[in-house]
Amino acid sequence: MRIEKCYFCSGPVYPGHGVMFVRNDCKMFRFCRSKCKKNFTKKRNPRKTRWTKAFRKSAGKELTVDNSLEFEKRRNIPVKYNRGIWDKTVEAMKRVEEIKQKRQARFIMNRLKKGKQLEKEEAINEVKKNIHLIKAPHAGKAKQMEDKMVQKLQEDVEMEDDDI
Amino acid sequence: MALYNFKKIMVVPTAKEFIDITLSKTQRKTPTVVHKHYQIHRIRHFYMRKVKFTQQNYHDRLTQILTDFPKLDDIHPFYADLMNVLYDKDHYKLALGQINIARNLIDNVAKDYVRLMKYGDSLYRCKQLKRAALGRMCTILKRQKSSLEYLEQVRQHLSRLPSIDPNTRTLLLCGYPNVGKSSFINKVTRADVDVQPYAFTTKSLFVGHMDYRYLRWQVVDTPGILDHPLEERNTIEMQAITALAHLRSAILYVTDVSEQCGHTLQEQLELFNNIRPLFTNKPLIIVANKCDVKKISELSEENQACDQLLAHRVNTKIKGKKVHDVLNRLHLAMPAKRDEKERPPFIPEGALNRRKAMEVDAPKRKLERDLEMELGDDYVLDLQKYWDLMNEDEKQDTIPEVWEGHNIADYIDPDIMRKLEALEKEEELKERAGEYESDEESEDEEMQEIRTLAKQIKEKKQLMVLESKEKDVHGPRMPRTATKVEKKQLEKEMSNLGLDMSDKSNSHYAQQGQRSRSITRKRKREASAPPTSKTRSQSASRPPRDQSGLRDGKMVKKTKKMMKNSQRDMNRQARRGESDRHVFDLKPKHLLAGKRKSGTKDRR
Repeated sequence: MRIEKCYFCSGPVYPGHGVMFVRNDCKMFRFCRSKCKKNFTKKRNPRKTRWTKAFRKSAGKELTVDNSLEFEKRRNIPVKYNRGIWDKTVEAMKRVEEIKQKRQARFIMNRLKKGKQLEKEEAINEVKKNIHLIKAPHAGKAKQMEDKMVQKLQEDVEMEDDDI
Repeated sequence: MALYNFKKIMVVPTAKEFIDITLSKTQRKTPTVVHKHYQIHRIRHFYMRKVKFTQQNYHDRLTQILTDFPKLDDIHPFYADLMNVLYDKDHYKLALGQINIARNLIDNVAKDYVRLMKYGDSLYRCKQLKRAALGRMCTILKRQKSSLEYLEQVRQHLSRLPSIDPNTRTLLLCGYPNVGKSSFINKVTRADVDVQPYAFTTKSLFVGHMDYRYLRWQVVDTPGILDHPLEERNTIEMQAITALAHLRSAILYVTDVSEQCGHTLQEQLELFNNIRPLFTNKPLIIVANKCDVKKISELSEENQACDQLLAHRVNTKIKGKKVHDVLNRLHLAMPAKRDEKERPPFIPEGALNRRKAMEVDAPKRKLERDLEMELGDDYVLDLQKYWDLMNEDEKQDTIPEVWEGHNIADYIDPDIMRKLEALEKEEELKERAGEYESDEESEDEEMQEIRTLAKQIKEKKQLMVLESKEKDVHGPRMPRTATKVEKKQLEKEMSNLGLDMSDKSNSHYAQQGQRSRSITRKRKREASAPPTSKTRSQSASRPPRDQSGLRDGKMVKKTKKMMKNSQRDMNRQARRGESDRHVFDLKPKHLLAGKRKSGTKDRR
């Protein structure tokens, strides 16, 4: 029993699901659901269909080259069962999976950093240009003036006191 | 050789059919159209062609018949005699002769009429000649009706004759009727001859084949022979006699010991003596059949007969001259011994073992089936026990195949641990380098404030857009100042924007409100605004539009500039205003004239 990969979206095809199409040149195409199959029949290129993993990898939106991705590889020569090997492999698998997730997340975060920077700048620009929509230009000015006057008077009084 | 031809003789059509076939063929295969006005040689040629064509067809067909049917002189005397017996030699020869004559007559007719047609001078004449020629040919053939019928019957019967090869090894069964010859042949070969209690069940020769000593033997079954002189024999018996006479074979004279056939042993013996002359030069066996008392197995008789015949044949061959030639060429080669070493034939070990095993015939190992029988209901098919693993106790393990959407088989690798270690080291290095630290810089207050303000601005913008969408503007757009703004509305808006709107009774907008036309009040003559340089026609209280709302000269300049800027686009398009859609030049020459050289062809 194997979990195959959908040819179009690269998603998992569990046993009992999906459709397999065999072409006249003996190439087999597995699809996880009819959406992928219909797209394939319409001759759409998965590398150009934005929601597929193929597009994301080819457009550099996801981690492609990494050592943690080299572990999962389809091997054509089966290995004889040996409890030791199987145990070790299962544990290694779990650890590799952890590391892989971390690295993929990191990659995406790095990619989105630039966006954050731009967002900040945009906010600043927005405030600068359109502050008049929420606050009148001399909204607090009257009060400010009053406060200033009060302060000045106080200083004068102090100076007078000092003098005296 | 003669055998094959009998089956391949062409069907002989009846006279009527023959005529029909040939005439329709003439009709189809020769040109059909001819007119009076054609040139005479053309007309003559046309009709001559028809006559010749018909003659040709008849000739071919009849020749074929003559060649197909075997000439009695050319075939094996056995067949010649057989045919004589069956079909009467004279009648046969006569029929064929008649056909030959007919053929010659047809040829002559055609020749004559073709000669006559050379002198035909009109279409009508030529046509009549042709008609006469064809008619005569057909009449000739009509006269052969009986011959053709007879030949057809002969052909049919001939094709059904058993294919007896006169030159090969044969056993011939003969004797009285009903003695058991057919039963014998049925037993010995795959032939299926009728066996019935009445005499003369077998009315013709039958052939069966059998194998003995890796050779094929013919066994010929004959109809029974009765004891009377040759002249009185009927056709059926004659067949048997013919076979006896001509086939070089071993004779099995079958006698009925139990006399069930209806003739005594004495009679049978007499018959035997009578036909003895036919047995010269042939090995003879007397078969005592139907002996239920004595245990004479018939096989041994047969064996003897075959052996005898074989020996006889070999003897005769050896006596011939040809044998010496062959013997000279034969030489048996034996390898000479070159040393004392024994060189027995090589038989591999495995072959010897297998031969022994086959002889001993013992089961090699316990089968699953045996196990199933032993255990009965407890039996569980466990194929995992046959697995060839390194550790025996792992055979009953359930092997995991999938974990969380990943196939375990994809990860199995002999140096997975090494790779994992390398990966872990890498990971450690990365962590140390600080790659995984979350860099959410805690922003200072200012930034946070800016963000909140930006958010508010965004919301306000959206609200404004929605409001403007809700407005139901059907007519022309009036400037903002045309509509009245309520004092309360103004105060509310300004206070929302953060201005302090308390105590504003002295402000301009409040006083303007008092001056509105809805409330007519007597104007007080007050020098509220000093008179500027204006003509007296204009009222002093209303400032001109290009100066109202402007504080100072700087502002005036700026305003003028803004006005000019907004007017600039309209001027550039040479339009008086927004509603001006007049096109000065509908078909500009520089766009529409000239060839389409390199450049875009999407538009002009």
